[in-house]
Amino acid sequence: MKAFDSKTASSVEQENIVLKQVYSPLRIESASRRYRLWDKIVEKLLLLAAIISGSLVLVVIFFVIKEAIPIFVHNGVRFVTAGGWDQDISKAWASVEPMWRFGALPVIVGTFIATGGALILTFILGIGCSIFLAELAPDAIRSPVEAIIRLLAGIPSVVFGLIGLMIVVPLIMDWFISDELALKYIKIVPLDGQSLLAGILVLTFMILPFFITVAVDALRAVPKTYKEASLALGVNGWRTIVKVVIPVATPGIVAGIVLASGRAVGEAIALSMVAGAMAFMPDPSHGAVFFLEPIRTMASAIVDNKETMGAETVETALFAIGSLLLLVSVLLSLTARITFNRFQKRVMGMVE
Amino acid sequence: MIDIALKKKRNRTSPGPFLCWLSTAIIVVVCAGLVIYPLIVGAKAINLEFLLTDPLPSLKEELSGGILTPIAGTIIIILITSVITTPIALGTAIYLTEYAGRDKLPTRLMSLGIDVLAGVPSAVLAIFGLAVFSLPQLAIFSSKVEGAELSFGNSFLVGGIVMILHIISFVIKAMEESIKSVPSSYRDAAYALGTTRWRTIKRAVLPAARPGIITGIILGIGLIAGDTAIIWLCVGGSMTMTGAEQWWLPWNWLAVIQHSGSTLTSYIFYSSPAGEGNSPNKAFGAVFVLMVIILALNLIVDYLGKTKKITQV
Repeated sequence: MKAFDSKTASSVEQENIVLKQVYSPLRIESASRRYRLWDKIVEKLLLLAAIISGSLVLVVIFFVIKEAIPIFVHNGVRFVTAGGWDQDISKAWASVEPMWRFGALPVIVGTFIATGGALILTFILGIGCSIFLAELAPDAIRSPVEAIIRLLAGIPSVVFGLIGLMIVVPLIMDWFISDELALKYIKIVPLDGQSLLAGILVLTFMILPFFITVAVDALRAVPKTYKEASLALGVNGWRTIVKVVIPVATPGIVAGIVLASGRAVGEAIALSMVAGAMAFMPDPSHGAVFFLEPIRTMASAIVDNKETMGAETVETALFAIGSLLLLVSVLLSLTARITFNRFQKRVMGMVE
Repeated sequence: MIDIALKKKRNRTSPGPFLCWLSTAIIVVVCAGLVIYPLIVGAKAINLEFLLTDPLPSLKEELSGGILTPIAGTIIIILITSVITTPIALGTAIYLTEYAGRDKLPTRLMSLGIDVLAGVPSAVLAIFGLAVFSLPQLAIFSSKVEGAELSFGNSFLVGGIVMILHIISFVIKAMEESIKSVPSSYRDAAYALGTTRWRTIKRAVLPAARPGIITGIILGIGLIAGDTAIIWLCVGGSMTMTGAEQWWLPWNWLAVIQHSGSTLTSYIFYSSPAGEGNSPNKAFGAVFVLMVIILALNLIVDYLGKTKKITQV
């Protein structure tokens, strides 16, 4: 009761300050003509700002696709189905004649297996943590854990890359790659710890906070009455979570996964540092060594191949990669938005 | 009865809650390690000389100088980007929350465009910026390439402008949230006095939303300080200021921002074993400074979050 009173008092005080600012006698010139004109000008200026912000993305999409067109004209579907990215880049860079043949399959595959692996790990680790934060955690533990996860979201990707390179990569080298193994594969690909596995591990912790934030919101949005009904039937807390809360929150959790995958697909710097920076396609027939082989993702190809951008054809090929990335990220953003809106509507409907 | 009793027993021994605790513990331990490890390792590299000398081109770690220009570069990029972004983002947030009809098609398209921009990877923005600012007509933002019909396309100014695309969606979102949370009684009170819409916003709504608006700007600064892809492609890979040797003199500043240089993130990338510099201790020193900046920004956001709760009931 006391807390309630003090809150009301402070809000009244605040409101008084605001009202004084508006009321003060000097300011009561009512809505004179000058103000009305000014009002119209400001509205137009604000509209202009909104139009600029809203259309920036169109400028980016238009320009990137426009620059990428020659590659798709020259290669057609071959661009996304043929291999040999690294060799194509160096050939195009070295040759005097413009070289238009590029096969981007290795970087596309690299992007999708790294993203997929990281998503699986993120889901396994993140769903537990989200349930913990939304349902199980005592207040004293919850808020520091949330603060730490917020902090994790703010750590720059180059720091993830550096720590991955200095700690995760040497550990993988020590634990999984023996000299014999490296020697056995030397003709196929160098195994030096910079690998798909390192990429997946680093990527997982980069996208976890985004998944957890959305998933916790989704779990918390489940109407209380649903939980109470289940508890009243004598179902214990955990079964209520599994049978009632999670099924209702599922679309929201899916939106979290989609959002996190958007992050993962676009990550460039950290992956180019820890995942090997070689457009190699890991071969599933190698068994577990699959995870120890290097990859290069689409976004890191753009950063890594910066030096070769002087050659016009290489630049165009990078734009083609960029436009594929753009397509994927736009689709993912739209999917996340639609799923989350649907989820919100559904939960609202339940409350009513 | 026995059936229910059995079920109860199964419920009680469910490993679920334990697994939730476990996964949270794993995440917290790794996070703490990610923050503490670079701080401990980086602290060893920090001394006044490291902070106050320019990076030197040397392959020997002890001769490779300090991080004065990367620190200055980070500040330059933050200033350029936030000065341009803030008015556009604030204007957009005000328009979308106070003026635009919520469900009208143009409004929905605008907010859709902002949403989609938030998902565009910074590597794509970087290559876009590099190509746009390589156009010869835009040489004023960087420098002309001698003997070719091209601009250099790499400068602090270019990086700063491209960075706007990277942060603006997030800044707008945060500002929109804070403006939306201002109670409508504030607006009603001002309108009842017969004042205009803009004066209502300026005098009643914006002051109440101030903590949230500042939070938005600070979130943007965090994103600017942390991005590498845009810096690497649009500001360039040279570690020292190429615009002027005495870059700290005010009359050289225009030349400095029209030319290439480095920020903390590009310095870390360059000095890591993956870059050409390969001096990991120096890289961790720069990580230390960067993490201190990020932690400070986080603390300010937390503090503002608390004041917001007090003033907006």
